[in-house]
Amino acid sequence: MSSFLAWVTHGVKRGRLELGARTTVALSAVVAALTLITAIYLVLVSRTAAQGRTIERLQAEVLHLQRENEQAAVRIAETCAIPQVMARAQALGFAPADRIEFLAGSD
Amino acid sequence: MADGPKRRLMLLATLLGLCVLVVIAQLVKVQIIDHQFYVNWARDQRVRSITMDQPPRGTIHDRDGYLLAGNGVRYAIEAAPPYVTDKANAAEKLAEVLHVPALQMRTLLETKDEHGQPATWVAIAPSVSRDIGEEVAKQEIGGVAVHPLWKREYPEGTLASHVLGFSTPVTGYYGIEGFYDTMLRPEPIKWEGPVDIASEPIPWEPIFGEFPRRGVRLELTLDRTVQMLTEQELEHAIWEYEADGGTIIVMDPKTFGILAMASWLPYDPERYGELVEQNPPPFEDPAVSKQYEPGSVFKVLTVAAALDSGTVAPSTAYNDQGWIEVGGQAIWNATREVYGQQSVTGIMVHSLNVGAAWLSTLMGPEIFYSYLQEFGIGRPTGVDLASEVSGQLWLPEDIEHWHPSNLGTNAFGQGVAVTPLQMVTAVATVVNDGARLRPHVVGRRIASTGKVSVFQPVFEQQVISPETAQQVTEMMVQVVEEGATLAQVAGYRVGGKTGTAQIPVPGGYAREGTIATFIGFGPVPDPEVLILVKLDRPQASPWASKTAAPSFARLAARLFVVLGIPPDGESVLAEVQQ
Repeated sequence: MSSFLAWVTHGVKRGRLELGARTTVALSAVVAALTLITAIYLVLVSRTAAQGRTIERLQAEVLHLQRENEQAAVRIAETCAIPQVMARAQALGFAPADRIEFLAGSD
Repeated sequence: MADGPKRRLMLLATLLGLCVLVVIAQLVKVQIIDHQFYVNWARDQRVRSITMDQPPRGTIHDRDGYLLAGNGVRYAIEAAPPYVTDKANAAEKLAEVLHVPALQMRTLLETKDEHGQPATWVAIAPSVSRDIGEEVAKQEIGGVAVHPLWKREYPEGTLASHVLGFSTPVTGYYGIEGFYDTMLRPEPIKWEGPVDIASEPIPWEPIFGEFPRRGVRLELTLDRTVQMLTEQELEHAIWEYEADGGTIIVMDPKTFGILAMASWLPYDPERYGELVEQNPPPFEDPAVSKQYEPGSVFKVLTVAAALDSGTVAPSTAYNDQGWIEVGGQAIWNATREVYGQQSVTGIMVHSLNVGAAWLSTLMGPEIFYSYLQEFGIGRPTGVDLASEVSGQLWLPEDIEHWHPSNLGTNAFGQGVAVTPLQMVTAVATVVNDGARLRPHVVGRRIASTGKVSVFQPVFEQQVISPETAQQVTEMMVQVVEEGATLAQVAGYRVGGKTGTAQIPVPGGYAREGTIATFIGFGPVPDPEVLILVKLDRPQASPWASKTAAPSFARLAARLFVVLGIPPDGESVLAEVQQ
């Protein structure tokens, strides 16, 4: 490869790369700007990702609480079910009323 | 030689130019020509559509808000064997929590697929209790996942089982669960976005938008206390009168809202998986899905039609000879007795088949069947319960089935089939001043957004005038006072009508066994409940007046107390004087 390059460049005069002060300043400014933009972008993305995780966690918590709530509602209903209430009432010595009398109230 | 370097450079530039052209051509192909293909390819690798956690199915409550159908939490335990690094340890831990042999767990974790490779996924336990699920999750076994599941639960057990129906994890069947399945079903929400290698969402951007929506909450017109008393009375009546089965419906005659509906035999909706093996399964609600010949309770409709059409007045007299010929067929009174001079009221009080057939022939088929159709006979009531059937009413134009004698037999409920709900709706029309509304079970719907929809009674038709309705209800009160006296309720004026129907079999009617029905309402003059009691093949007595009527009285007496309806002063006074 080096002999090929030597063959191609044989007799070709090399040029010199010269950067002026203004060009150097401009290039540096561009590099600095790009670095700044990249940094801002990375910060934003990482913050957004963190917020996304937080929201995901909160959503999972909401769903977990919803499940707990549903389960609790069923358990309460089971405890208050008529057969349960009747059994507890009987255990406490209550009996079904066999004759109920309405009393007339005055206005 | 001076051109030598230039030529060489030109050659090199040409070669480089060609290479650049190839690259540009490839870029054009990739970026422009095949652009969409690569976009889709990248998207498929990076983005997944994931269904977010399934919200619960809508709950069902009685009219006071008591939960009748809710959602319990269960857990499914699954494993991805390639990710379970220490299978022996994992099997030990699972076995300890699940109370199964460790060897069984080990075998599951070493399951191979059809190619002899470790299976990518195995179900360890498809549905375990919350405690066990959470215990497994605590173990943090690598490669073992614990997913929460919803399980439909019915906290009141078998109460109102036929009205509620049942639900699998996905679909509701029968009753309310079947009729309102699409509303009760939760609305899953799919999230689409970038995922990681384990297909877990990467929160590249916060997931905005709505949460998955749970199903609609339904509040019924059913009252769980009334329902329980109704079921207790049905069981009592079946036991006391040695019946094969039966149905009781309690309706509010002002709104046609159903307060209770019980059929024998109730079942546990949570055990649908086992019950489906029965032949036939017990899921169909006989109150709306099974039809029967109603017998003499149908005379209420015949008399109402005859009075409203102006064919007769309550005092119009006829001479009962014990039989009448209609369409070449002799029709006899159920007791085979001759009642002599009778009024229309007498037809109701003594439940005279001959009188009813006389009324229908006086009206003629056009008027008679027109009224029956307006009462809703022969068509579904439109109640919000699954699997309602339409009953059977043959009309004169059904030349293959209708015979002129049907005009006579239909008048006392023979040769016509209805569901218990159709019958109770037709009589409720009479009690409700002749206005037929649509019977319903759901009183309110509450969407997950909080929007409340209150059911407004649907007016179907003004079938008879309020005056006629008043005359017929008075006749029904007389029926209880003079005929079906076992239906009387101490302290309250009630009305009603008995019906003892033969059971049709191929080629005629069964020699033994009847269907005993009583439809009653009270307290008069402002009825708050209408009750149908239907008993299948009661052995203690074939007559409704001795089976269904006293059952009505027992239930009505309890319901008046539970619903806070004070006794009628005059009735109490009369009772005291007696």
